[in-house]
Amino acid sequence: MEQEKVVIEVNHICKQYKVLKKGEGIKGALKGLVTRESRLVPAVDDLSFQIKAGEIVGFIGPNGAGKSTTIKMMSGILTPTSGEILINGMDIQKKRKEVVRNIGVIFGQRSQLNWDLRLGESYELLRHIYQIDKAQYEETLDVMDQILGIKELLDKPVRQMSLGQRVKGDLVAAMLHSPDVLFLDEPTIGLDISSKYALRKFVKEINEKRKTTIILTTHDLADIEQLCDRLIIINHGHLMEDGNLSEIVNRIAPYKTLVVEYYDEYAPEHDKCELCFHEENVAKYRFGKKEITAARLIEELSAKAQIKDVSIEEAGIDDIIRVAYGQ
Amino acid sequence: MKLLRELFHYLDVTAANIKIAFLSIIEYPANIIGWLLSNPIQFLVGFATIQFVVNEFGAINGWNYGQLAFLYGLSVISHALSMIFFVNGWFMGWWVLDGEFDRMLTRPMSVVYQFFFTNINIFGITDLVPGVIVFAYGCQKIGFCFTLANVFQILVLLVGATLIRGGVYLILGSTSFWTRSAIDFGAFTQELFDKTTMYPISMYPEAFQFILTYIIPIGWVSFYPVSGLLGIENGLANGQVATWITLFAGILTMLVAAGFFKLGLRRYESAGN
Repeated sequence: MEQEKVVIEVNHICKQYKVLKKGEGIKGALKGLVTRESRLVPAVDDLSFQIKAGEIVGFIGPNGAGKSTTIKMMSGILTPTSGEILINGMDIQKKRKEVVRNIGVIFGQRSQLNWDLRLGESYELLRHIYQIDKAQYEETLDVMDQILGIKELLDKPVRQMSLGQRVKGDLVAAMLHSPDVLFLDEPTIGLDISSKYALRKFVKEINEKRKTTIILTTHDLADIEQLCDRLIIINHGHLMEDGNLSEIVNRIAPYKTLVVEYYDEYAPEHDKCELCFHEENVAKYRFGKKEITAARLIEELSAKAQIKDVSIEEAGIDDIIRVAYGQ
Repeated sequence: MKLLRELFHYLDVTAANIKIAFLSIIEYPANIIGWLLSNPIQFLVGFATIQFVVNEFGAINGWNYGQLAFLYGLSVISHALSMIFFVNGWFMGWWVLDGEFDRMLTRPMSVVYQFFFTNINIFGITDLVPGVIVFAYGCQKIGFCFTLANVFQILVLLVGATLIRGGVYLILGSTSFWTRSAIDFGAFTQELFDKTTMYPISMYPEAFQFILTYIIPIGWVSFYPVSGLLGIENGLANGQVATWITLFAGILTMLVAAGFFKLGLRRYESAGN
């Protein structure tokens, strides 16, 4: 029944930012000095959901949708204007110090490592902060070494590391105290292919081996496709979609795209699908999975024009996003 | 028992933080050279100032040459200690705007503690040098006896005085949570403390003295406890009583400041991305 345990419970959280109203020109600026009129801007509006132990949940949404605000409220950084967040049954606002013992946080754009010192020194400090005993520290480091090969970096000063190495260093730093829950805020930002691969492997393995619950925000759709069991789409501070990736795809974007390259510029139409792109020899057809099969479509198109090459694009996450963000 | 464990945890992390502060120095040898160069200069400037003051005035409100050096020296020492442990209060606006509290909030320790102690400014030691020298000079001038009791009194005084300074830095800095601007309180605070702790405050008008005694307890940083220690009448607290009040004022100021900081932290908005 371990799988069914709720680790994170978010109940009707709202977050409003106060923005000072500023008038135009000198007159407006002077007026602003005296009156200080402010306006409340809602960043997150009545958001509720639950996350169970061992889930990998992806948070997506356009910039300014409230993803980071939500993740920062869940990790104790921001105070919600109203509503509550329980982690392992404890209110993070009331018992911050106790709750954060069991969470790890990684910000893609902000390292928690000491820039000046060798990586090992940063870990040593974390060992003291989280009161991790030496034996357990060594054990965690062994596990992390198997996944990321971190030990060869321990003596390297952080400022001499590549971005990929530093991200590895940060991943391990967040796992040293063996948290139950790991938050990753845009972890793959700026990483090259092999570093992204290492990061995804890390997320998968700690989820499997340690049953760590993982919440991540990203703009990289491959992260979601390869990692997440569950997707939460946020826009304008509201929950737009919450569910399994393929289920959401089937519900709001139940189609595939057939890309056809012809020998010449003529691209025939077909009544069971939509010609959504046509440039020179290449045409794209979007078809409903229930309307027609890909094989049938190719067959019928090839009867009208000579086909050189075909490929099929699954409706994926970008289609969902297009639909969901458009709402 | 739980409190004791907590205390050990904080002491343990403090030791680790101090180690890191020292390692950071060793990492940049060029800084050490700068440090070694600035040392004698700071000492000369500090000493010239006290010499000038003493030569100019001879005695101020019943304080003689040696006693003034003693007061000045101790004040510089508590200033140096506050520079080592609490200087970040001066730059809090920058921390607020840059979202630097994010990381601290995700760690299982007091944010005030982390704010001050994860960034110990070890170079503040440079300010200790002129302080100790002028203080030693004053001690020698007035024939101050280093009995165990006296040394203990001075330690209590320094802890209290450093906490008062740190508390004031923290209160000023915490206003950044409301103003959301990166005001550097350094110059202002330095000026305020220099003018009020390096000379006896009895030379100021009474209303000003009242404020420095009861409202912003800067009088307790050096004037009251030192006059108590040296047996100079200050009209309020004599002998060891003054030292203990300093410690009490220090703890109180820091607690009030920490409360104010916590209040501000609820308004903390991180940094947008």
